[in-house]
Amino acid sequence: MKHGLLGAGALLFTSVSLLGSPAMAEPVKGGVIDVATVGEPPTLDPMTSTADLVGMITQHIFETLYTFDKDWNVVPLLAEAMPDISQDGKIYAIKLRSGVKFQDGSDMTSKDVVASLKRWEEVASRGKQTASDIQSIEADGDLGVKITLKQPYAPLLSLLAFNNSAAIILPSDDQDMPLKKVIGTGPYMLKDRKPDQYIQLVRFDGYKSRSDAPNGYGGARHQYLDEIRFVPVPDPNTRVQGAIAGQFAYADSLPVESYDQVKGGKDKAMILKPFGWPVFMMNTKEGVLSNLQIRKAVQAAMNSEDMLLAAFGSKEFFTVDGSLYPEGFAWHSDAGTEAYNQGNPEKAAELLKKAGYDGKPIRILTSRQYEFHYKMAQVAQAYLEQAGFKVDMQVVDWATLTQRRADPKLWDMFITHSPFLPEPALNGYMQDSSPGWWATDAKHAAIEPFVTETDPKKRAALFSKVQQVTFDEVPMYKVGDFNALAAVSPELKDVNQASWPYFWNAYLQK
Amino acid sequence: MARYILNRIIGVIVVLFIVATVVFVIVRVTPGDPAAVMLGPDATAADIADLRIRLGLNQPIPVQYLYFMGGLLRGDLGQSIFLNEPVLTALGQRAEPTFFLTIFSILIACAIALPVGILSAYKRGSVFDQVVTTLAMLSASIPSFWLGLVFIEFFAVKLGWFPTSGYGGPGDSFLSRMHHLVQPAVTLGLVNSALIIRFVRASMLDVLGDDYVRTARSKGMGEARVVLKHALKNALIPILTVIGLTTALLISGAIVTETVFGLPGVGSLIVSAVTRRDYPVIQGALLVIAALYVLINFAIDMLYLVVDPRVSY
Repeated sequence: MKHGLLGAGALLFTSVSLLGSPAMAEPVKGGVIDVATVGEPPTLDPMTSTADLVGMITQHIFETLYTFDKDWNVVPLLAEAMPDISQDGKIYAIKLRSGVKFQDGSDMTSKDVVASLKRWEEVASRGKQTASDIQSIEADGDLGVKITLKQPYAPLLSLLAFNNSAAIILPSDDQDMPLKKVIGTGPYMLKDRKPDQYIQLVRFDGYKSRSDAPNGYGGARHQYLDEIRFVPVPDPNTRVQGAIAGQFAYADSLPVESYDQVKGGKDKAMILKPFGWPVFMMNTKEGVLSNLQIRKAVQAAMNSEDMLLAAFGSKEFFTVDGSLYPEGFAWHSDAGTEAYNQGNPEKAAELLKKAGYDGKPIRILTSRQYEFHYKMAQVAQAYLEQAGFKVDMQVVDWATLTQRRADPKLWDMFITHSPFLPEPALNGYMQDSSPGWWATDAKHAAIEPFVTETDPKKRAALFSKVQQVTFDEVPMYKVGDFNALAAVSPELKDVNQASWPYFWNAYLQK
Repeated sequence: MARYILNRIIGVIVVLFIVATVVFVIVRVTPGDPAAVMLGPDATAADIADLRIRLGLNQPIPVQYLYFMGGLLRGDLGQSIFLNEPVLTALGQRAEPTFFLTIFSILIACAIALPVGILSAYKRGSVFDQVVTTLAMLSASIPSFWLGLVFIEFFAVKLGWFPTSGYGGPGDSFLSRMHHLVQPAVTLGLVNSALIIRFVRASMLDVLGDDYVRTARSKGMGEARVVLKHALKNALIPILTVIGLTTALLISGAIVTETVFGLPGVGSLIVSAVTRRDYPVIQGALLVIAALYVLINFAIDMLYLVVDPRVSY
């Protein structure tokens, strides 16, 4: 496997049933589950959205050529095997599995794959990002596809495997934008959708599963459940109460403060560890923080431990960790982390003095859509003010924040978070155009070899240089790692602790 | 009468025009971009700009306004950006839970408020009256979301009598859907009964001391008949007004209650639309609500004719 990406990182995929049940039971076919989600997805076309909720639901309907195993290695899904890659790393020959059917009964062929990948290049954020590296996408017989790159681009397979802004395979005749028909090759198909009430998926009887053993998102996808219903429950307290009452087979994104309550309820609490990382992005293009020395002062002032404690309360839900990937991921490195979690306002004050800071307020954009963002921003404000910064905290709703952050004139820092994406090149900060607009020679010198190198071990070493540059140039401040809380019914077996939970291979046992 | 109705219709048109314009301006000056929300957190500025063009959001605001008003004249409230369906269809899909929630809530509120308010006025100054007055004040001060969560905790989680949230799944019967409405309806009924109790009590107190009540009693009429037939009928106009206003408020979406109970009603639709900046849905929903407000007020005015022959238009 020339492009296998990551080594370890299996923690998120630990099977709940292995943790909780005394003996493995034979899976049973049948049953309907209700899954409480944080809301209604903005679309059912995962190509056009990077929202986690969209990916979580639609990964049951649509499939990609590749996916990730439990160790975050890229593994084939609709592709028969890993691609044959030319010596120069520019040509990917992909063989497709035979007998794969779409949910309208038609066969999947290379024609569908070529049309879908071209649509992906046109409409998906990640596809557009990749399009400049792709020279051509061509069919090679009915079950073969050839992708020719302009130059080697190692993240390609991860991009083809990801489940949001996803390179899903659609029938060549159903490539409308916006998507008119929801037809994929996945194990479950859309039966009914009542917005804000439910999305009903039923077993696709014509599904052709892989024959290899289930492994993370890869391998066989058994369709034990008859139906999966995604039910939007936007109020987090109501989701908690539903989990306690046992109304949902799975309840997603519960407030961590409710951990003790959930533990005492009918569903079992499930900690997704590690889930993601909160980060303050800095505006390197305009304003106060375009000065590197002032960004270094911010870095010196920040106290991650206090921020994480304020945001998550219990140490069960966070780790004070400056590495861009936690231990267990192949990308984990300590490079540059001595600059993390300094919490040293005196040093920050000195740096500010040297930088000639003129007292212009730092505008921090935050939102209460994610309460932990707000709490972290409050602690950051206290430390920054102690160091001598003036802070203008702007608390806005999420839609306003996403609009304002696109304009470099309107902000200096904003807080956001992300799950640990299996391929670092998928992270926003790697792109020069991402809000923050970090684009320096040192960054490019670190990233270019990383994205062109195809050897996984060499890539891991190269990523530590990328991490070092992020600490040296401070385009952002990673606060730490945090864990998420979900609840799962004790009757629902073989649900994996995944960042984007999936329910093929899960079954009900009374 | 005909002239009155004509004037009201003209008034409705003017009100709706003003509402449409004000809502259009407010949603456009509110920060936030539906394209950015739709594309998710990792979308690039170029993607967002592309989608804005596709959605017509890049057009000058006066042009968007003309399109919007032109659509309104044709009875077209526009197309939801997120749901990819006409706004009227989206509203229609959300109408059932909101409609029945409104009916049940107002019935519960009236069932509590009318007898309690009348009795409280009749026994003015008694312990009963003082308890009712205190409880009504307390009830009016309770936030509906808090009461809703308490109900969920007790009746759904502890006793398991009701689902914690939602409006039923695929294929659920009408009765099952109504079962989901019991808790939110009782929540809203209790909270809204407080206001109606106070109006009923005050209104009854106004009339119970009137000469015609004393005359009815002096003729030997039974107390029940005096209070329920003579006094209540004359006290009804302010009571009808407050019931009408409460109903209109509930139809406009018991926003917080619908969110807490996860009901897919008009209130939830508006909340989602505001969060996502789904401009056509916000505009369409508020316009329909304004129209319903006006219609309900008109219906109440007509009821005045029934309950009070002295009223004429």
